[in-house]
Order: sequence, then C-alpha cells, then structure tokens
Amino acid sequence: MNTEKSEAGEGKKRGGDVIVETVSRLMVPFIQLFALYVIIHGAGGPGGGFQGGVIFGASFVLLVIAFGIVKAGDRFPEGINTALTSLGVYIYAGVGLLCIILSLGVAQYLNYGFLSLPVHFEERRALGMDLVEIGIGITVMAVITSIFFNLVWKREPEGGGGEEE
Amino acid sequence: MEWVIADIILAKYNYWVSIILMLIGFYAMIAKGNLVKKIIGLNIFQTAIFLFYISLADIRAVIGTKGGTEPIVSEEIIHKGYVYVNPLPHVLILTAIVVAVATTAVALALIIRMYEEYGTIEEDEIIEKERELGV
Amino acid sequence: MKLISLSALLFVIFLGALFIYIADDIPDFGDPNSPPNRYVNLSISMDAAEAATNLNKGVVPEELVSKLEARGFREDELPAKVEMVKEGEWDAFIIPEEKHYYPKEQKYYFIKKEGDKLWVYRYAPIIRYIEEGHEETEVPNMVTYILADYRGYDTLGEVTVIFTAGVGVILLLRRRAKRPEAR
Repeated sequence: MNTEKSEAGEGKKRGGDVIVETVSRLMVPFIQLFALYVIIHGAGGPGGGFQGGVIFGASFVLLVIAFGIVKAGDRFPEGINTALTSLGVYIYAGVGLLCIILSLGVAQYLNYGFLSLPVHFEERRALGMDLVEIGIGITVMAVITSIFFNLVWKREPEGGGGEEE
Repeated sequence: MEWVIADIILAKYNYWVSIILMLIGFYAMIAKGNLVKKIIGLNIFQTAIFLFYISLADIRAVIGTKGGTEPIVSEEIIHKGYVYVNPLPHVLILTAIVVAVATTAVALALIIRMYEEYGTIEEDEIIEKERELGV
Repeated sequence: MKLISLSALLFVIFLGALFIYIADDIPDFGDPNSPPNRYVNLSISMDAAEAATNLNKGVVPEELVSKLEARGFREDELPAKVEMVKEGEWDAFIIPEEKHYYPKEQKYYFIKKEGDKLWVYRYAPIIRYIEEGHEETEVPNMVTYILADYRGYDTLGEVTVIFTAGVGVILLLRRRAKRPEAR
C-alpha cells in the first residue's frame, strides 16, 4: 500500500511540473539580461540601479516559485549572498573615497570629475555615475533575494516549541 | 456654487483621491486586529503619499501651450514646444519607495517570529497571553 | 463596536475635516507656475518707474538689494547681474562661490512688472538642474543625474537603508542548516 501510494503520487507530480520547470529555466537568463540592460542604460532612458536590481532579484524569485524552496535554496548559499550585499555598499563608498584621494587639495566627496579617466571633466561624471549604479544594482539584487529566501524558508522548530508548520 | 465645484473639487482631484486612500490606510492601521492587515494598511498609506507627491510634479496643457513631457533631454521636443515635467519629486519618491520596501520586509519578518512564539497573530490574543505570562 | 474602532473612526473623520479646511492652499493639478515647478512669490514690491530704467540698462537697483538683505538673504545670494527676458520681465543672476571648478553665474530671481509695481519672485532649485544639467554631465536622463550626481550623498544613505533592512531580516530569520541535536 505504501509503495503504490508513493508511486501514484510521484507520477502525478512529475506530469504537472515539467512545463513550469522547463519554461522558467529557459526564461531566467533573458530576464537577467534585461536587468543588466536596465542598469546600464539608465543614463540614456528610463531605468537605473534600483530598477535593474529589483528585476535581477525577480529572476531568482521565479526560480523559487517554479522549483520549490528546498531545491532552489540549495543553489544560493547564504554566505555569498551576504557578501554581495556589502560589496555594493563598498563600491559606492569606495568611489567617493577615491574621489577624495585623487582630487589633491580640493578634496570633494563623490565629485566624479576628479577620477583619473582619459576623457574630459564632464564625461568623467557620466562614467562615475555608471560605476555607482552598478554598485547599487548588486546590493538591491542580493537584499531582495535574501529577504525572499528567509521569509519563505520553513524553519525547524527549536527545542520545546512544539510541532508547528 | 459653481465656483466650489470647479475650483476646489475638479481642479484638485489628485488631492482628493490621495486623501481618501490615506484615510482608508490610516483607519486600517489603527482599528484592525490582525497584524498582517495592519501592514497592508501601512502600504496603502504609503502609496497614497507617493501618488500625491508625484501628481504635484505634472504640468498640463493650458490653452496656448502644450503640456509636459518626460524628463529626458532631447532637442526635437523642445523645438516642438513641449516643456519638461518636474523631475525632483520623482527622485525623492524613488528613495521613499525603497524605504517602504525595507519597512515592510522587516515588519513581515517580525510577524513570522511572533507567530512562532505565541501561535497566533491576532492582537487581542497576544495581549491575553502576555498578561497571563506577566502575572 | 470595539472602543478602538470607534475612536479610530472619529479621529479619521476629524482628520478629513482638517484636510478639507486646508484645501484652498494646495496648488492646482498641472499648474505650470506653482512653487514646486517654477517660482515662489517673495512678496517684495518696488515702484516701477525708476527701477525699470535701471533694470533695462542691466544695472541692479539699490532698493532691490537693500530689501532682499532686510528679508534675510545672505551675502552671496544677492543679485549681481540682470538680463531681460521679455518686455517687462527680467532675470537676476547671482554668482555663488562654487569651490570645485569655477564660480559660475546662476539664475536666481525673477522680476515681473504688473500694473504699477515690480514684483520679485525666486526660482525653484529645479531650474538649474533642468537647464544646465545636460551640459555639466553628459547624461540625457534627468532623474538619473539628479539621483547619482547632484544628490549622490542621499543615494548613499538610501543604499544603507536597504542594506540595514537586509541585515535585519537575516538576523531575525536565519536559515539554519539541519544540525543534529548535540547537547
């Protein structure tokens, strides 16, 4: 009885999930490509760091919806996610500190005109803005991913808490 | 009476829509007992504020001039006679939306922890259990 | 009904009445001359006859400078140059001390002749971002260059807010691996 029930259960599960799993696995790279497009073309049209980061995080949420939290959650280890959240803030504050170091004497925080790139003063501001938007996108992507995974993960009940699901 | 309808109600209908949404969200935050409904009321409140603030930035077509267009600099639009919409409220509301997302995330995490501790998310039952534990 | 529902309803009705009371001061929807969009009325008026000839020649009249100083504007916010926009409307510029590149003149006051007097307005700070933003930074999108360049420090605080929210959620609901109960 036990084996029959488990086999019938497995057959039903296999039939419904193939389409959703395959299509979402195909769609995820294109969603991430669109997110990178929105981050980098934030200077020429609508978009920017926050918007692109959220779209990037939405692609990981799609993976969790299609595959279930246990299978998809094993692919994103918690340590790398937490490191990525702080990497974006480092990039942003680091660019500002670099502008203080490279602007000898005037010492202005986050004035991208003093970065040492081989173009004239006004265009350096545009390139500095792109660097900063990339940092924002990385942080927002990692934070949205980690918030979603932590809210959905089923927790093991601690000792003495009772059987709660 | 026509000046009341035309000047106050019809000329500022963005203000009235925002006020109604704001009061609905505020009532839900205070009067409902379920904790998740309070968070939903908080989100409705914040959405009403965003709507009002961005609608202050719009420029509409008066007789003789054309209306406002999107705030991306381009030469052809200026020659046709359009003006740019004020972009400063858009910038401030981008920051405010991110703050709303952060607040909602931490509030939902707190609700999950409270459910694991007390077994319920109704406010009255939590107060009852706290009173029993306290005494 | 419970006591808190009733008192919440009464408070909401009171707030609604307060909002209706102040509805006269809110600017119209889509008004191109409202204070956030173009200029703010400073309520300073001067006599038209002698000041207009001074302004037409491009000289800042003494009366304007003294009245602005009496209102409370600082030393480097007083007008230094006047230009004519149309018949009866003038723009007054100031030259602030911008330390980073060069001190550049900036459009600050707007003087308009209505009837017998000249009224002084002050431009909103958005005018500088719209008109000179594309030259100073070679970026067409206004929202992006205001966020990341002119107000870049606020965006750093913004990223800190969302970083703090992520850290808060991780601390509250950490994903623990299934460890065996070893006591």
